[in-house]
Amino acid sequence: MRKLRFEYSMELKFSSPVSSHYFALRCVPGDSLRQKVRLTECRVSPADYTSALKDGFGNKKLSGCCHAPHDAFGYSVAGTAETNGMIVQKCPLHPMYRYPSKYTQFEPEVVRFAEKIREEWRSESAGTALEKAVCAMHYLHTYFEYSPGTTDIGTTAAGALKLGKGVCQDYAHIMIAVMRYLGVPARYVNGLMIGEGATHAWTEVYTDGGWYGLDPTNDLHIDGYYISLAHGRDYGDCIVDRGIFLGNASQEQKIYVNVEEIKDGRDSCVNGTAGGREADDP
Amino acid sequence: MRELIEHTEGINRLMARYGVKFGIYKGGEFHEQLFPFDAIPRVITHEEFQQLEKGLIQRVDALNLFLNDIYGEKKIIHDGVIPEEFVFISSGYLPQCEGIAPPKNIYSHISGIDLVLGKDGEWYILEDNLRIPSGASYPMIAREICRRVSPVTFGNNSVVDNRNYAVMLKETMDWVNTGGIPVIMTPGRYNAAYFEHSYLAERTGSELATCTDLFVEDNYLYYRDYRGRKQKVGVIYRRISDDYLDPMTFLPESLIGIPNIMDVYRSGNVAIVNAPGNGVADDKGIYYFAPKMIRYYLGQEAILKNAPTYLPFYEEDRKYVLDHLEKLVIKDVAEAGGYGVIFGNELSRERLAQMKKVIEKESRRFIAQEVVDFQDMEVMDGDEKVLRKADLRAFVLSGEKTRVWPGGLTRFSRNADSFVVNSSQGGGFKDTWVLSQWKK
Repeated sequence: MRKLRFEYSMELKFSSPVSSHYFALRCVPGDSLRQKVRLTECRVSPADYTSALKDGFGNKKLSGCCHAPHDAFGYSVAGTAETNGMIVQKCPLHPMYRYPSKYTQFEPEVVRFAEKIREEWRSESAGTALEKAVCAMHYLHTYFEYSPGTTDIGTTAAGALKLGKGVCQDYAHIMIAVMRYLGVPARYVNGLMIGEGATHAWTEVYTDGGWYGLDPTNDLHIDGYYISLAHGRDYGDCIVDRGIFLGNASQEQKIYVNVEEIKDGRDSCVNGTAGGREADDP
Repeated sequence: MRELIEHTEGINRLMARYGVKFGIYKGGEFHEQLFPFDAIPRVITHEEFQQLEKGLIQRVDALNLFLNDIYGEKKIIHDGVIPEEFVFISSGYLPQCEGIAPPKNIYSHISGIDLVLGKDGEWYILEDNLRIPSGASYPMIAREICRRVSPVTFGNNSVVDNRNYAVMLKETMDWVNTGGIPVIMTPGRYNAAYFEHSYLAERTGSELATCTDLFVEDNYLYYRDYRGRKQKVGVIYRRISDDYLDPMTFLPESLIGIPNIMDVYRSGNVAIVNAPGNGVADDKGIYYFAPKMIRYYLGQEAILKNAPTYLPFYEEDRKYVLDHLEKLVIKDVAEAGGYGVIFGNELSRERLAQMKKVIEKESRRFIAQEVVDFQDMEVMDGDEKVLRKADLRAFVLSGEKTRVWPGGLTRFSRNADSFVVNSSQGGGFKDTWVLSQWKK
């Protein structure tokens, strides 16, 4: 078990004031078998009200609104989390994670790529669902190129495969589409990771009666250095920050994420980096 | 009856004056057209209606139980009665509704069940409409006008007075109201059924609202009236589809929805009529399973029959469909309003071969049905009586009890050779007389 301290904040600046600004935020980590969270800060401003609820997937969600004109909006969440790595989070499977979703349709590119992975399974003699998923992750990580700015938040698994490069969202979508096509249920996870200055995304596969996390962008098992924020069938189900407003303004977004490990009662910063980067997820 | 027929023109003129219109989009342009009324009513005897009533209540009760189950425990899936792919790939299934218990556990408050009367004298269910079935206002106002134009007709015939639809609807809305005013929400005057929205609002004493009149605050839904006062909403009969209902949960580009209304609903602070997510139960693929649902949830045999239906998803059915395509009706499960309906006998040889390939490839996407040989109805064409295909949309309201409105919308096709009666395809309508047990 590890103990992490995390800070996550987002600041939006509008070029001219906006009003009737509604938001739905999945920026607060919740408790699960893998993590126990204690919040020390959770602030959204400006806001006429915020209500804390759960969504249909079981994620924590803060929603609210700011009616008065404002030219900045932001939130910040901080706290500590006790995390377990590389464990199966036992829970019944919801059947929706078996079937293609908006971003993970079984288009020809997905099918072709999945067939390559099926061959890989044969040559690596991957037997269990987990062995298969790990094999797929290695293959995807080698095949796909990390390249920020080539894809956007609307890019599907097939679209990213066509380009051959993308960011963490694309890695996760391809992995999900392929696993589902090959008969292993999979879901999308948003979260924070030590050493990243922005939010991150990865994949969980259903194996041994529960969810097990894999990070195809970094070719890593989800260990104690990750904090989950929200999950769903794909990106569209668990957008961290969703908002609409009245106004004709351009926006500038700054995201700050810092995750560091707390050791022996004293703080020691393991590989923590500061944020302040543009909005793109890695 | 003759008096009524003689007054057809007058009735239609009055309806035009009251704005009884149907909007359609053709070539990207909005046109309002009148919904032609034919004065010869469909007549249903007391005994026949009793039977229909029993069957419809049974079906709608089972569909409501199904919806509670799908967004809850999913027992019908675990018990293997319905294959899960029919539920979870359906575009009507909304995972955002998982775990929500709607007020009084009612999902489908207003169900529009489409039936046809076969030549064998039996009623067949064609489809269930559990999202926002429209059409009740047309026979409502037609009856009102008919009674005024020819009171003697209703003096001489023992027709059940069905001018109480608005009362039934109001009672249904009141039953699920969580404490606040009732509202009917319309996308606006360019919607096909805008006449109906305004008419039902007037008749039920509900506020007629668009998205700009409604807003969420502190997890409650409010209506702002013309003086700027805000009032809490306890029940919203929304006439916009799920996709557009809440841009923060569903389509982000929706400009006609209410941001965060799904949170209010999930918290039990407003009733949404009909509940979001109902599309999973009126999916054309799920239709096939309705008799099985009735058996599963109620332990009864279905009183009303489905039209003979095949699911190409099952190998045995697929073989039959591919071998008999030229005599079947093929329906795309994702389409509504008479779109995506293909008659095998109208297809050229090439189109048939093409269609077979598509069915083989996307077997989940289609259902196939035998063409039900249904009874033609008499329709006045000028001074002449002609025969046309017609169906019946029955309105079933689920509140404290499930009730069937004694009447319904009888639609007929304009052309002699057309089987499609949907109003969006340019057909007309008739009044539906349910006869009372006391004969005059």
